[in-house]
Parts: sequence; C-alpha cells; structure tokens
Amino acid sequence: MKIAGNDILIQSLINEGVEYIFGYPGGAALHIYDAIFNQKDMQHILVRHEQGATHAADGYARATGKPGVVLVTSGPGATNAITGIATAFMDSIPMVVISGQVQSHLIGTDAFQETDMIGVSRPIVKHSFTVDKQENIAQIVKEAFHVATSGRQGPVVIDVPKDLTNPDELFDFNYPEKANIRSYNPPVKPENHQVSRAVDAILTAERPVIYAGGGTISSNASDELRELNELLDFPVTNTLMGLGVYPGTGKRFLGMLGMHGTYQANMAMHNADLIIAVGARFDDRITNTPEKFAPKAKVIHFDVDHSSVSKIIEADIAVFGQVKDSLKAINNYLSSRKDEINREKLSPWHQQIKEWKEKHGLNHELYKNDSDEYPILPQAAVQHIYQESEGKAFVTSDVGQHQMFAAQYYHFDEPRKWINSGGLGTMGFGLPSAMGVKLAYPEEEVICITGEGSIQMCIQELSTCSQYKLPIKIFNINNLALGMVKQWQDMNYDGRHSSISYEDSLPDFVGLAESYGHVGIKITKNSELKEGIAKALAIKDKLVFVDIYVDPNEHVYPMLVAPNGSLKDMWLGKGEKT
Amino acid sequence: MIQRKLTLVMENKPGALARVVGLFHQRGYNIDSLHVDPIEDFEPFRFIEDELGIKFQVGEVSRLTIRTTVGDKLMRQILRQINKLIDVIAVSDDESTYLKGILRNENLL
Ligand SMILES: Cc1ncc(C[n+]2csc(CCOP(=O)(O)OP(=O)(O)O)c2C)c(N)n1
Ligand SMILES: [Mg+2]
Repeated sequence: MKIAGNDILIQSLINEGVEYIFGYPGGAALHIYDAIFNQKDMQHILVRHEQGATHAADGYARATGKPGVVLVTSGPGATNAITGIATAFMDSIPMVVISGQVQSHLIGTDAFQETDMIGVSRPIVKHSFTVDKQENIAQIVKEAFHVATSGRQGPVVIDVPKDLTNPDELFDFNYPEKANIRSYNPPVKPENHQVSRAVDAILTAERPVIYAGGGTISSNASDELRELNELLDFPVTNTLMGLGVYPGTGKRFLGMLGMHGTYQANMAMHNADLIIAVGARFDDRITNTPEKFAPKAKVIHFDVDHSSVSKIIEADIAVFGQVKDSLKAINNYLSSRKDEINREKLSPWHQQIKEWKEKHGLNHELYKNDSDEYPILPQAAVQHIYQESEGKAFVTSDVGQHQMFAAQYYHFDEPRKWINSGGLGTMGFGLPSAMGVKLAYPEEEVICITGEGSIQMCIQELSTCSQYKLPIKIFNINNLALGMVKQWQDMNYDGRHSSISYEDSLPDFVGLAESYGHVGIKITKNSELKEGIAKALAIKDKLVFVDIYVDPNEHVYPMLVAPNGSLKDMWLGKGEKT
Repeated sequence: MIQRKLTLVMENKPGALARVVGLFHQRGYNIDSLHVDPIEDFEPFRFIEDELGIKFQVGEVSRLTIRTTVGDKLMRQILRQINKLIDVIAVSDDESTYLKGILRNENLL
C-alpha cells in the first residue's frame, strides 16, 4: 500500500502504540493534522498553549512509563514547546516532540514562521532528527522512540519540513521492527566484578544509607529496591524525584533528603560510612557544598549514564547498567551470601536515626489543630489532602513552598504517583501534567497541589480540562505571594520583599474556575479545611478548584544552610539552626 | 591543566558536528582547535568495524580532532559526555577510548 508522508508519520505513531498526542496546529503542521483527522486509533488533545502540550505529555510519561508525544507547528509553536522539553530533559523523561518546519526549499531564508528548532532545542534534547525524505519517516520515528525510551531516557525532537508531509506524493509504508542505530549502545547489564565489589562494601557497612532517585523509577526498579532493603534492612532516603520508589510509610524510610529534606535523612547521609546511590545524580540540591558532603562515606553509585558517575561526588564503586538489572544482580549475589548479612550490627545506627527523628523530625500531626484563631498552615492543608485521599492519589505539583510541603507531607507508597518538575523547577507544570495523568488513568484520583503564582503560568489549560472533561482536583495553596522567593528574601535579604506579591490583583479563583464550567471552593478557616477537601474529592465528574488561603508567613523547614554548609547544617525554624 | 587531544569517529550526519561543538560550550569547556575530515582510509578503524559488527562505507564517517586545555577530572567528564552523543561511534584521549559506551584503558584511535 502506498501512502503519503503525513499518513506515514501518523501511522508510525500508531504502530508505536501511541494513545494520545498533545498538540496545537499551525501552517507547517497542517498536512499532519489532516492525517490525524483521518484516523481513529490515536486521540489528539488540543491544549491552549504548546507549553501545556509538553507538560501534559510529560505527566503522561511519568505516570505510565510510556513516552509522551507532542505535535507543534513551526516557529512560535516550536519555541513555545521549549520549556516543556527542557523540563523533561532535566528529569530524563521519555518524550517525542514532532515539530512542523517550513518547506525544505525555504529553510534558511527566514521564511514565515521559520525557527531553527533543531538548533534551539539542541542543548535540551537527548537527540534530534530532521526528516530528509518521506521514505525515511518511519525509520526516523522508530529510532526516535528507541532513543527516547532506552538508556537514560529523555526528550527527542523530530523536525518535519512541510513538503515532506504533502498528501499528494505516495510512498511504500512498512513500519520497521527494530531501530538500528550502530552508534548508540546504552549499557544494560552490570559487570560481575562491579557487583561483587559493591556487595563486599555493603556487607561491611555499619552506617549505611540507600539514596534512591528518579532513575530508579525510570528503570521500574522499585520492586528490586524494596527487595534489596528486605535483605539488608538499611535506612532509605529518596530524592524529590525518587519519592514513592520506597514506601513513604515504610519502616526504614528517612523521608526526602537535601535542601528541604528531613533532619534525619540529611544527618544520616552526613554521618554515613556507606552511601548507596541508586539512579540519583548528586545534584546541588542534595549535596550542599560538595567538598563537605558525607565526609566519612564510601560511595557506591548505580547508574545507566557513565557521565553521571563521579561528576560531582567521586564514586568508590560504580555499577553501570539499567538500575533494574544492576539491583537484580546485587540481590542475587547478596542472597548467595546471605549468612554474611549481619543485621544486628546496624542497631546502634537505627537507634541513632530514631533519636534524630524524635528530636527534629517533621510534625505529622499539624492537621489536628482546627482552631480558627490561627491561619491555616500550608502543611496542615497537605496533611488533610493526604488523609482525605487516603494517600492513594496521583499528585502533581508546581514549584515553590507548596511543592516542598507536598513532598514532605504527602507520603507516596508507590512509584510514579508523585509527578513534579525536580530538575528544572518549572512553574506551570502542575495543571497540564495532571491532564496527562488523568487521561492515562481516568479512574484514579488525580490531584494538583499548586500555588497561586504557579497555577497562573498555565491557567489557560482549565479550558482544555473542560473540553475533555478531566475531573482533576486542584488545591491552590494560596499564600498571596511567590512564597519561596519571599522566604529567601526573608532569610537572605533582611525581609526586603522585592516583587513577590500581586497587590490585590489575584483573580477570584472560584469565579474563574466556574467560568470554565468547573466547580470552585474557597477555604479560609481551619474549621472548613477537612470538610472542604472531602467535599472536593467527593465530586467525581467535575474538575474542582479549591482555593485554600494559608498563613502567608510560613517558611519551609528544614532548609540547608548555604553557601558553604554541609548536609548537617540546617535551618530548623525561623532563627533556629543546627 | 595541560592541553589534550581528543579524537572522535562519528557519523557524518547533519547536525552531528554542531552537537559536539555545542557540548563544549554548554558544559563550559573551551576548544583550542578543531579539525574534521571524512575518513577515507578505513584501515586504522577496522577494529571498530569488527567490534561493532558493521562495515563503514565511504563518506559515512568522519574523524574529528579537538584540542582543549583542562584538568584530569574534567577531561574524564568531557569524554563521557561526548560518548553519550548518539552520533559518536568512538572517542579517545591519550589514555582511554570509549567505543560505544565501552571503556578501554588505552588510546585506540
Ligand atoms: C517558570 C519559573 N519562573 C520562576 C521561578 C522561580 N520561582 C521558584 S518558586 C517561585 C514562587 C512560586 O510561587 P507560588 O506558585 O505561589 O508558590 P509558593 O512558593 O507561594 O507556594 C518562583 C517565582 C520558577 N521556578 N519557574
Ligand atoms: Mg504562593
């Protein structure tokens, strides 16, 4: 059968099993949109801004593990997608972005809506392809999906000149079974000598910590991690990206580590004699000053990406490969040396951690205060959301204090349930990513915990939610300010609040939500909190926007002391330091 | 810091060179000099063909030489970052070679 370039492209996506494509049409993409019109196997979701398309595809990818797919037109369509591509790149999320391009013969002439998308996106993609002729479209799509979803995953751009999707020129279409990229060969299985060295170190450790990050989730290695922990009974901490990979309510869970990590997690890392880094990359939000990081620890680093290992913290033992395969190998080998595992040896360490936790751990009972004498604490709002959703929801978030409170007080027992922009820290991510999650899992509760600053960065997607009937629950932790910036100004600039408030110009969020056909609920008092949240969650068929007015003066603690601090240097409250 | 020479064998595809050069800027490394030629004599690169089970055709691959002045640790990072670029088949410095993800402790190029 002979078909045209536009159909080859769409049929290739269908062959890849794509269910949803998030996009926005325009001149250079019109042939492609015509091919979408003519099929029924894949649904196009029309967003209101291309940034929304990329975040929605990203949310879909994070929740399902399958690549998110985006279609945008050339020029402004392509550049609007950049923030979302960068967001996916920083968190190693598989995504395929198809951008229309001006006709081949116009490239380089500053044609209408011409942008060098390959050039603009180069530093924020794993790889990119320019379609050179129709006969290569299927192969390029195959390769793009292979690259996006293998090794260390990431976004891939395919730039498609308009003439190559012309419906009048027909070609043979056979979707290739395999991508053959001879110059690409990401590691899969670890080498035996690396595994045995790692196990030797594990068996002699007295103060070990397992530090697991987003790579463990990408690799679907949560079961293997839990198995490892069952064998060893080591304490486990997760990065912001790793939450849920080890149960948040698990016995050995220390909580999140790093900038706003728990006291016990940061203290355990600082005092450890062995750090087992699993799919985590020692980002500066984790290490604080690298020279002062965990001075007594030996480091074992499991990663699929050679360039992540010993980039910031020198690894004593590196185990390269898909984290899942590496952990399997470790678990197997450990099981064969089971009699050498000495759990008793760890009891002083567990005792020490317990003491740290009792001394300065997070207060998980804040929600019990329902006095209207005091303003609502943002932490209590999150605790109520956690209680009322029984800890089972998918939770997306934006960036700021609300995000950190969500990470600290919503306990994720499963991977892929906490969806947030960790690496790039993209405000505006929360709502569109929740759309992607809800489309993937229509029966599941999908919550977006956001701030009144962040939500306004992609608020237009409320319209998309109404078009596709996506009953997401949005909890706006409204502190009337860019709270996280304000916190830094309080702590580092003597409280000079430069450009962090909106005076009286915030919209009436309830009225705004209602104007899109959604339900709005406003909560201003502690006594309304539990009931208001429960009411929102009980509405199953509508999007509910819950605007929660919280204490505008609250800060996120603990907070690492910077610059020049180590992981044991933390602010524990206003004016209170370790 | 001393000047070092890096040698790459990479696919002669559009955009491939820009990715290598872009990487230096992106990661804050400096390029002292750069030289690129299509590979015509495949003899010195037969081991790559054998290793990867492929056959190079004329015009398909280029050899790139870059000189840069950096310390040891950064050199290792640069090699690893270049190795990650999809179009790069092999990259070496004076002491080591990455041949599609596999590290050898000698300069094979
Ligand atoms: C797109 C973007 N611009 C700027 C920032 C810097 N920034 C980080 S947190 C923050 C404040 C966010 O305010 P809000 O969403 O109200 O959250 P809050 O901290 O008040 O909970 C800002 C401006 C960012 N992360 N992303
Ligand atoms: Mg705010």
